[in-house]
Amino acid sequence: MKGLFFIALFFSCFDVMSNNETLDTIAGKTFELVDQKIPKQYKKTAFDSISIVESQNLSELIQQHSSVFIKDYGPSSLSSISFRGTGASHTQVQWNGVLLNSPMNGQVDFSLYPTIFFNQAELHHGAASLMGRNGALGGSVLLKNSQNFEAKNTAFIKQTLGSFGAYKTELSTCFIQNKWLFETQLFYYTAQNNFEFKNISKKGTPIEQQKNAEMSQYGIQQGIYKQLKNGSFGGRIWLFDSDRNLAPTITKDSANENQKDQSFRALLEYKQVKNKLSFTITSGLVKDVLIYEDMSAKIYSKSNSYLVDNLINTTYYINNNINIINNLNIRFETAESGGYSTIKERTQGSWMTGVVFNLGRVQLNVFNRFIALNNVFNPLAPSVGGKIQLLKKEQLYFKTNAGINYHYPSLNDLYWNPGGNDSLKPEKAQMIEAGFSYTKNIRNTELTLGAVGFYNYVSNWIIWLPTEFSYWSPTNLKEVENKGFEATFGLNTTFGKLTIKHNANYAYTASTNIKTNNELDNSINKQLIYVPFHKFNYTFSAKYKNTSVYYNYSYTGMRFVSTDNNWYMPAYFIHNVSISQQIKFKKVKLTASFKANNLLNQDYQAMAFRAMPGRNFLFSISLGL
Amino acid sequence: MKKYFLYLPFCLLLFFGCKKEEIGPQCLNCDETFISNTSSTDVLIINEGTFGWSNASITLYNKSNNNVNQNVFKNANNGTDLGDVAQSFLQINDKGYIVVNNSNKVEVVNISDFTSLATITGFNSPRYMLKINNSKAYVTDLYSNSIQIVNLNSNTISGNIAVPGWTEQLLLHNDTAYVCDMNNNNILIINTLTDVLVDSIKVGISPNSLVLDKNNQLWVLCSGGFNEENARLMQINPADRSLVQTFTFSNINHSPGSLNINRNKDNLYFINNSVYQMSITGNSLPSTPIVTNSGNLFYGLGIDPTNNDIYVADAIDYVQNGRVFRYSASGSLVHQFTAGIIPGSFWFIE
Repeated sequence: MKGLFFIALFFSCFDVMSNNETLDTIAGKTFELVDQKIPKQYKKTAFDSISIVESQNLSELIQQHSSVFIKDYGPSSLSSISFRGTGASHTQVQWNGVLLNSPMNGQVDFSLYPTIFFNQAELHHGAASLMGRNGALGGSVLLKNSQNFEAKNTAFIKQTLGSFGAYKTELSTCFIQNKWLFETQLFYYTAQNNFEFKNISKKGTPIEQQKNAEMSQYGIQQGIYKQLKNGSFGGRIWLFDSDRNLAPTITKDSANENQKDQSFRALLEYKQVKNKLSFTITSGLVKDVLIYEDMSAKIYSKSNSYLVDNLINTTYYINNNINIINNLNIRFETAESGGYSTIKERTQGSWMTGVVFNLGRVQLNVFNRFIALNNVFNPLAPSVGGKIQLLKKEQLYFKTNAGINYHYPSLNDLYWNPGGNDSLKPEKAQMIEAGFSYTKNIRNTELTLGAVGFYNYVSNWIIWLPTEFSYWSPTNLKEVENKGFEATFGLNTTFGKLTIKHNANYAYTASTNIKTNNELDNSINKQLIYVPFHKFNYTFSAKYKNTSVYYNYSYTGMRFVSTDNNWYMPAYFIHNVSISQQIKFKKVKLTASFKANNLLNQDYQAMAFRAMPGRNFLFSISLGL
Repeated sequence: MKKYFLYLPFCLLLFFGCKKEEIGPQCLNCDETFISNTSSTDVLIINEGTFGWSNASITLYNKSNNNVNQNVFKNANNGTDLGDVAQSFLQINDKGYIVVNNSNKVEVVNISDFTSLATITGFNSPRYMLKINNSKAYVTDLYSNSIQIVNLNSNTISGNIAVPGWTEQLLLHNDTAYVCDMNNNNILIINTLTDVLVDSIKVGISPNSLVLDKNNQLWVLCSGGFNEENARLMQINPADRSLVQTFTFSNINHSPGSLNINRNKDNLYFINNSVYQMSITGNSLPSTPIVTNSGNLFYGLGIDPTNNDIYVADAIDYVQNGRVFRYSASGSLVHQFTAGIIPGSFWFIE
């Protein structure tokens, strides 16, 4: 312990884990100018710092604090996503701009992203994602690490113990000297996940203990940045290792499946404002290794994927009313796997150009993205948006946008042996949305309201189907119509030393399959499986002096699990609460916190026949400088 | 106003907190009728169900009045799920044996009403079952490198026979069991009196099904694996374990399966995209199907031993209830109906 603390001091900045500052104050003003922001006519959800801190990983953060659905297969298992009714590969995850989706299956396992590894997170809904990239037909998740060169040196260590053998150590330091900034985040997490559940698949629904769900994760992230005049230069490295047993569905008495994920991610960033031009140059390198083993089936498979992702994002401020945006991205992907006959690779280039007009109460933008993949050129992926302030003295806006987005098939879709189909076309989404937003500040209270309706028609949707041969193969057969409505509510109040925050999100999503190739196929005009019609969550947090309380409620509505919509999973609703107390001794802050998850001990399944834990507790102590 | 928001969580808690408890997949429209008495005019459709779920099911179809009952096992047993992936079915006298692959068990039911009599447990990944005599049966296995010997009196596993890998379909002839060895591309020969593996016969890649004809000749269908070699239909003489002839499929992409034989044991049937019929005296593989798939993907095949009607199933997308088609012996459609999720095999009640 003493040794760890020494390391903490040695590395010694920002203080994201001590949860008493909001992210808006962490982000230094200097760089507000530099980071390109999506125009406000597009929808984004920004997570506040307390939500990030209260969540174990990205999966939990999105699940509990947004209206986006996470397909959670249980602790230690896969977590994938369905954003606005789309498939798991239709959501992109970016880390400071670098796209992390696997080149192999195009997806991301959200359980492998610990929240200590980023201090800002945003969701870009629908066409909002087009500014950064093409391919996110549902939306994007943006993880950021912001630097504040004005901050004090900090060191922070947190120890958490929890139910079912959970044990976590987190360490975070930031040290600034002579315009250099060094930051480190380290963490180790292990859990047995041997919780009890009611086994509904067996006669008499016996209470059983979850089997084969032990896991451990560790990771380190190191950032080094140099402050420049009107800019910064630096880089960071993300090392992550996960070793987990994959729990079987509750129908199985035993399982021997294990998965290891190893990631190496590094990036260099150069941000600068010069005269009227602001730009960010980012270069990222990602190596992901996935090792899957099934002892009983005698399967051992290892796949390696590498990608290099380069970005140049520029904004040119012609005057206060017109900004020109040009974003260039060149991405190289390669993967080797037992599922491919040879090593596969590809290069994708894309260039987005556009203009944003600020005309008093009206803001308009026109963008287009040009895409080239392996020398095939696609010249049209446009997006247009507009916003109008409806009342002169009120922050009430009408917003609308529309766009066309292409998602290219993954390497597995193209080359998996057997079945891969190298003549697949990109999936195409045509989307449009419109809504209102309202912000009101009255003395110490800030109210935000938002509502947006969307329509997203996806054609050439890639679906793996059984073939006349004995394997499955992907085709561009599916067509899906996604319609929905999203509403947000926020209320922040400060009375002296008391701060109270309320935050709520709701989404209605109707995602309909509108094409089949078999007249007997009853999936036509039915809701896609695992897309809940209703999702709602609410977070309350209050802080008085050094005491904080937090409450989160999330409701996930019924979702169908058979394509003919004959089988469904019932709705579930989870309550989480926590309380924490901070004590200050001179410069040292000691925080103790206690959290109860699934307070009402609800017995539920998010995914069919996957056991989920009942009420469980976490206790943590942290020490910060 | 502000106080109201403080109460909001509790309002929501009350609002959503008092629902009837339902866990796991629920069926909106499922047959819940009980069956009283099966008869020899009944056909069972064994629906695998979704891998990893416990929604394997049995559909009962009466071929004289076209009546269909779904979820026969569940309805006969107080709502207990059959399990995870029903692979195959075997009737021995008045009992039915349902091999439930991913649940590692064999369910024993009363053939007349499907009430559960016993559950044989201890398997690894059971596939097919064969009656050896009134007190003994064999069960092949995907992963265990052994064939389990089942005591039919005690409904327990009494022993096993070591084999070199994945064993699939099997049949009995003259106190000898002939077993498809999928990994090593052999037909294993087991002396059923001593339960000893005595020999093997080399066949094509991935022998998945086999039948015995009226001349006591063995026919083995080998799918050829995933484009590893062309599929083959092979005739073997069990008397001297010799290969009599081989028919090779012309397209390497083709992956035929579900070899069946008619009542008189002189016509072979198999699925190769469409359903084909071939005489045991044929000189070549049939070029025209007896049942054309016309847009369907046929997954399971059964030949009615009483009248040679052809039953074939389409699992559609494998995530919804499948469809069963009944054709006459000459290949004209007689009836079609919905079964459960992934209808994979048929059994004609004796």
